[in-house]
Amino acid sequence: MGYATATKEEVTGSTVQLKAEAIEQVPVASVDQVLQGQVAGLVFNNTSGTPGSATDIRIRGISSITAGNEPLYVIDGVPVVNSDVNSTTSGSSLSPLASINSANIESITVLKDASATAAYGARGSNGVIVITTKSGRSGKTTFNFSSSYGFANDATSGPDPLTAAEREELFYESLFNTFGASNGFSREQAQAFYEANVGSFGSDYLNWNAAGRPEANWEEVITNKNAPVQEVNFSASGGTEDYNFFTSLGYFGQEATVIGSDFERITGQLNFSKKFSDRLKFTTNNSGSYSYQDGLLETSAYFSSPRSVKYFMPGLDQPYNDDGTINLQTTLPNPLWIAQEDIDDSKFTRILSNNALEWDIPVEGLRFTSRVNIDWQVYNYKRYRNRISGDGASDNGYGWQAHSNRVNYVFQNALDYRLNLTDDHLIDFKLLQEYQENKYYYLEADAIAFGDDGLTNLSSAGTPTTASSFFNDWKVGSYLALAHYSGFDGRYVLDATYRREGNSRFSDENRWGDFWSVGGAWNLHKMNFLYGNDAITNLKLRGSYGVTGNANIGLNQYQALLGYDSDYAGSGASYPQTFGNSDLTWETAKSFDVGLELGLFRNRITANVGYYRRESQDLLLDVPLSLTTGFTSQTQNIGRMENKGFEVEANFQIVNSEKFNLSIGGNMATNENEVLELALDPNGVERTITTTTTRIESGQPVRAWYMPTWAGVDPATGDELWYVDGEGSATTSNFNDANQVYQGGSALPTITAGMNFHVDFAGFFLDANGYYAGGHKVYEEWHRYTNATDRFSTQFYQGIDAVLDRWQEPGDTGTRFGKFEYTARPWQRHSKFLYDGDFLRLKNLTFGYNFNPSFLEATGITGARVFVRGTNVLTWVKDDNLQYDPETPADGFTALTTPPVKSWIFGINVKF
Amino acid sequence: MMKMNNIYKIALVGLLTISGACTTGDLEPSTEQNKPVEGGIATVGNLEGVLKGAYSRMTGSGYYGRDYIVTNEVRTDNCFSNGNSGRFTTQASFTYDANTGYFWDDAYRVIASANIIIGQDISVLTGDLDYAAHLQGQAYAMRALAHFDLVKQYGQQHAGGTLGVPYVTEFKGDDLFPARNTVEENKANIYADLEMAFQLMQDAYFDDSREFMSKYSAKALESRVAVYFEDWNRAVSASEAVINSGLYSILPANSYVSSWSSTGNANSIFELAFNPADNLGSNSLGFIYKTGIDANGDPIGSYGDVQVIDEVIDIFDDADVRKDILGYEGTLLRNLGKYPNLQGFDNVVLIRYEEVILNYAEALFETGGDALTEINKIATNRGLPAYASVTKDIILDERRKELMFEGFRFDDLMRTGMDIEKYSLQQNFAATIPYGDFRLAFPVPTAELNANSNMVQNDGY
Repeated sequence: MGYATATKEEVTGSTVQLKAEAIEQVPVASVDQVLQGQVAGLVFNNTSGTPGSATDIRIRGISSITAGNEPLYVIDGVPVVNSDVNSTTSGSSLSPLASINSANIESITVLKDASATAAYGARGSNGVIVITTKSGRSGKTTFNFSSSYGFANDATSGPDPLTAAEREELFYESLFNTFGASNGFSREQAQAFYEANVGSFGSDYLNWNAAGRPEANWEEVITNKNAPVQEVNFSASGGTEDYNFFTSLGYFGQEATVIGSDFERITGQLNFSKKFSDRLKFTTNNSGSYSYQDGLLETSAYFSSPRSVKYFMPGLDQPYNDDGTINLQTTLPNPLWIAQEDIDDSKFTRILSNNALEWDIPVEGLRFTSRVNIDWQVYNYKRYRNRISGDGASDNGYGWQAHSNRVNYVFQNALDYRLNLTDDHLIDFKLLQEYQENKYYYLEADAIAFGDDGLTNLSSAGTPTTASSFFNDWKVGSYLALAHYSGFDGRYVLDATYRREGNSRFSDENRWGDFWSVGGAWNLHKMNFLYGNDAITNLKLRGSYGVTGNANIGLNQYQALLGYDSDYAGSGASYPQTFGNSDLTWETAKSFDVGLELGLFRNRITANVGYYRRESQDLLLDVPLSLTTGFTSQTQNIGRMENKGFEVEANFQIVNSEKFNLSIGGNMATNENEVLELALDPNGVERTITTTTTRIESGQPVRAWYMPTWAGVDPATGDELWYVDGEGSATTSNFNDANQVYQGGSALPTITAGMNFHVDFAGFFLDANGYYAGGHKVYEEWHRYTNATDRFSTQFYQGIDAVLDRWQEPGDTGTRFGKFEYTARPWQRHSKFLYDGDFLRLKNLTFGYNFNPSFLEATGITGARVFVRGTNVLTWVKDDNLQYDPETPADGFTALTTPPVKSWIFGINVKF
Repeated sequence: MMKMNNIYKIALVGLLTISGACTTGDLEPSTEQNKPVEGGIATVGNLEGVLKGAYSRMTGSGYYGRDYIVTNEVRTDNCFSNGNSGRFTTQASFTYDANTGYFWDDAYRVIASANIIIGQDISVLTGDLDYAAHLQGQAYAMRALAHFDLVKQYGQQHAGGTLGVPYVTEFKGDDLFPARNTVEENKANIYADLEMAFQLMQDAYFDDSREFMSKYSAKALESRVAVYFEDWNRAVSASEAVINSGLYSILPANSYVSSWSSTGNANSIFELAFNPADNLGSNSLGFIYKTGIDANGDPIGSYGDVQVIDEVIDIFDDADVRKDILGYEGTLLRNLGKYPNLQGFDNVVLIRYEEVILNYAEALFETGGDALTEINKIATNRGLPAYASVTKDIILDERRKELMFEGFRFDDLMRTGMDIEKYSLQQNFAATIPYGDFRLAFPVPTAELNANSNMVQNDGY
């Protein structure tokens, strides 16, 4: 559990632990992906299926509006930095966790309540994820070899684009609807009208018909079918009384399911522990990794992203010329050419070295531990856009390279003291002092006008355009006191924690915050009235309350600063960059947690039920300012927000025998989020934060969906209609007259659940687990382009086949889309494109065989396993209109990124 | 020996403990790229840095870098948006709403920077204090220009109302939630700032690069404002001040087209600096006005949304050099000549001498002066014969041809009370927008209304 370890009976907080066995089987680039569905109350969002991408994890809802909602990550007792390492916001993200080999992890523990997280107090508001790496075991050296190989495809295929023929038909229909009456032609004559007026309407369809109406399938062009996934790990572990070690070497490689992208990682680990004397022990855990990600432009609808091409490139455009060469005369850059010529490479090297000295001071029960951790991250990025076609053509080639390095030090000194009052009353004390410093340095340059094709480094560019560098740092200092009491034969357990932490993000008067928690557990099964009861193996009531904090905001926000990253007429310039707020201090959260844990029949049946409520206050909020100040917002400590919910976990070992085991289990969690208070302006009016689709206002969940409500299509005219003031009010065909109203709910699921199933018989085993999220809504982004009933889908880009369900003539009722018109409408975001987000996904399905060790004895092999594993094999989505993958980024907008993958992996694991 | 070992260990523990301890001071963050606003301006050079920052803010694509100029062309009889990249269709079809981004925030950011300079007590600075006053003069002119642009777009003067925009004169001042001033109040403040600008700026610091405003830039702006508000006598005197300075001249016909790819021309009174190292790339004017054709005649792939309405070519006489600004990419009529570099390497001229002459001609016409001489200075320098007589329409036509694609057309139609006429299928809007329509005033952005309940939205939004 990071700073302290405790047995299950001794835990007063809400925690969930995953062991190595559950982790190492899952071949994923980024280890946090194994958590999905395993932890009640943990909501997992994929930002992209591109291997190595960052994920968004939310534990028990959203505790902050503007400050970060990411949990704190702790590796081997030390908080680590986990922000996206990619220096470009347009390309694929790259998670620092992708540098960690999951095969080297002993356990992952998720801490959810104040009692569990208070030890990390200041930064524990969003929960804590504690990762512990494997250590060696004394005894004969054992070796472990595992290898897996498999294939991945998109978990969901997404909407189907229109065919060129459908697009053409809709184009003629739009001409008829717009010009038919005024220019006197019938629907059938629309093509003739078009062909007589190609000067006004372009010659795309004329040329296409002349060419014999060839249909291109861009989805097929951009897909990397059956993309290989490969992992090989080799480790050794052993030692004597004096020392032990664990060492491993691993390789992971995965191609993306889209052309032109892949991920590779090489990792090495050496964990070594040595006793210098009976009282002095030295431990060092070291990992080094090198990751390579060939990424994509994918965070928006970039025209040169293959995912955009699938939905934006008309089937009229052909991928290849008649002579077999790549066609470069396409509406959007041809992804075949881009994948071949352009570069988006990230190279990430990370070294983590965690060193501890433990000294049993010659005073009974007193131990001193000193720990030094260095997390060193070096990142290189290279972008190149070729001279011939695509984003670099107008520059005659474009190159950009960035280099950054991050050094994060942690120094920890701890004193542990165990006070044995009597044999029955035990108090553990811990005093800890911690200092963390993060230094980040960044250097970039870009250039245009390359001398020749195929030369991609900046030295080959004729015109340098940018050179820039910067440095920043942040520092955290803290002091922790922790007491843990266990007495009366372990019937009663009490925890108390106090932490004082200072953070460089706040001014010197407001730098320090005080955080604390108390927790208690009552092990009822040890009480006399239950003693000797055969049925009840474990019955524990636990509860905790505490104050945790959040300081996850941008650097230097408290200072009113001039920025200098500006220039004019060839010389440097300055401008007011931050509004500043010297009063800025910690955001805090008061968390209450209560739970009942039950184990029946020697824990064949286990269940636990919990309730939590967390109220965040003094929110670090980017309060909107009048734009007339020259700023958009100022970070202030203002506002309150609440998260509450129930969590249930249960497991049943239905059959438990030597040869045959069968168990099922699951977890479920609810979350109710509500904004309680926001900033007011001098007139006492709440300063809501409103976008075209969401609003933050008290009394509503944060970023509640807020947009005009769609009212269907007028059967007489084919116009789309909206309610003026939400459902039930008058309708209008003028979008600007339709007011935004709450649509019920936000992007945050209100119910999540995980399910698991295990059966084994005579060495064969089958494991399955699923994940459900629901009660939230997701919004289909880019519908202006893909769901347009105008020139966006018939002339500029490409529609999806959903638009075929459209109004065609007076009397058509119940169509999802209005009439096609020859026009180009602006963005009109409304409830037609807001869908129920509920989905159920079979995350993992593993079938395998464990060889009987006795058969292997002669070979020297002590254990062997073969398995086949399916990931994201089945997906159910509640709303038929939600065609994109239901696992959207945390903001709830579907994205033109790579969806999660459906993969089948064959693996073997041998111990000797 | 054992004892020594223990002392060694205790020393080690002590050392480690010190390495982990820290005080409030140890947690002070670095600010290597920034300086505090308080105390960050100690020299005249520092003040000039802030001024350059203000100019830099004017160059943003939301303002003079692209959007302000293009929005005032696609809403007229000059241009439309073909939607190639989905840009400017909303503006061109007059379907914008309070969520459509425009330059409200960009203009007020320029004003905030200008107010830092204006609010600075220059007597405490080290350096040439006369020059510091000259810098403050530029800031006054800049503040006037940004407010003038705001009131033209967001003010209700052409949509049946009287409200203008908040006139902000302090950086982080007392009133952070300002209400709207009236158009009349805005006008008075703009004139006052321009007069102050003219007074503070000095001839000695005339900037030959034209990339910084000079003394007569303020007078040229004043003539523009006066024409807009039909203060004809003020327009005459302001124009005359510029003309009599003798610093500028009308470009002759043979250098008209080429002038757009060079800087600091004789006709330039103030232009925003762009260059190969500082440009807007795909967000530049060049990138939106054309598609770009490579050596093989294939499109390069820039946005090219803003196309010229086919009929516009017909308003130019064949001998008119200004016709050469236009040209065809395939069958599409384009602005090829103004802001020609596709990546936006070219300076964007905001005030040029020809405009002052046109302002002068119009003001003379309105006040009974010799407008004919002035309008012929333009015509004869563009390859056209001299006019024998002059009418208001001739002046406005010359103005349209001379200033086409530079973001003047919408304002000229408005100030003369014209409708936005639907005359071509290509125009994005369906029917003529009559003068007085609510859409002729842009909506105040939602973000402003949400943050500031003293703000009033324009009618119709």
